[in-house]
Amino acid sequence: MTTLTTRTSSPTPDVSTLPLQSSRARWTVRIIGISAAVGVALTVWLGLWVTPPDVSQGNTVPGNLVRLVYIHPGVAWVALYLAFGLAAVASLLYLWPRTRSMFWDRLAAAAVEVGVVFNVCTLISGSIWGRPTWGVYWAWDARLTLTAILLVLFLGYMALRRIPAEPEKRAKRSAFVCLFAAVDIPVDHFSVLWWKTLHQGATVLNPDLSPTIHGSMAWTLLISFVALTLVFVWMLLVRYRIGVLGDWLDGNELDVALRERQSEGVAADTGGAR
Amino acid sequence: MNYVIAGYSIVLSILFLYGVQLLWRRRRLTRAAARVAAYQAEHGTGVSPQ
Repeated sequence: MTTLTTRTSSPTPDVSTLPLQSSRARWTVRIIGISAAVGVALTVWLGLWVTPPDVSQGNTVPGNLVRLVYIHPGVAWVALYLAFGLAAVASLLYLWPRTRSMFWDRLAAAAVEVGVVFNVCTLISGSIWGRPTWGVYWAWDARLTLTAILLVLFLGYMALRRIPAEPEKRAKRSAFVCLFAAVDIPVDHFSVLWWKTLHQGATVLNPDLSPTIHGSMAWTLLISFVALTLVFVWMLLVRYRIGVLGDWLDGNELDVALRERQSEGVAADTGGAR
Repeated sequence: MNYVIAGYSIVLSILFLYGVQLLWRRRRLTRAAARVAAYQAEHGTGVSPQ
């Protein structure tokens, strides 16, 4: 929603309408970004050099493959649950009349874009893990297929947002599509329980809530989840800011273009009168 | 171990490149917004987000 404001000319740029970011907000984003980078570096160090290989297979190729557990479930957690889950909640809050605000629409758009990147990382890291484990990079397994469908659905969401429309209309239809796509999230989560799949069951969030990973491996897994969550939060904040600036420019650049065109017309009229 | 190295390298490269692209987009839009605000300050009107 935008309002037209009038102000007098001043010799220095008046940026009172600019969607400025406070110094505290800028520093918060920086601190989260630095923490995320440190967390990822710690995860790589622990995952590749400190934690032991699989106890039953020893220091062999399959024994070392377990090190992918510090990256693959982390990116999947961010994509499926944090990003797409947050987008679904934000879309619901946008559609709810009492909480309707463009904030929720921008948040959903930001979460989906970041989620799509993490979803791609999930599919690639899963395929790399699948090749030596199952003998193929890809299988039409329930978990894999549903994750790929999730990616396609949210790519569709992003494409829909690029269709020119009034901001409120775009927000409303995007929210409906987001909720439709989000139906795939619980189906994807429970797919390893509902169907016989190649993909293993949950390591931590299993039905018994008894993790099947212990010791330094469990701690490294936890650190990887925290680090990748921080990466997600940092990306989400930066992407949200891009959305705010983009919306502000959409409203103001048109205003500037119209004024330039008007001033060109006035100049042409004045020239013609002479 | 090659699969493990490939997995870490590809995932971290994608995340790093996307992060750089986000920073570049934010910087480009911030500069464009400052230019528009400066133009509006010279010519009198503006549209502010509420």
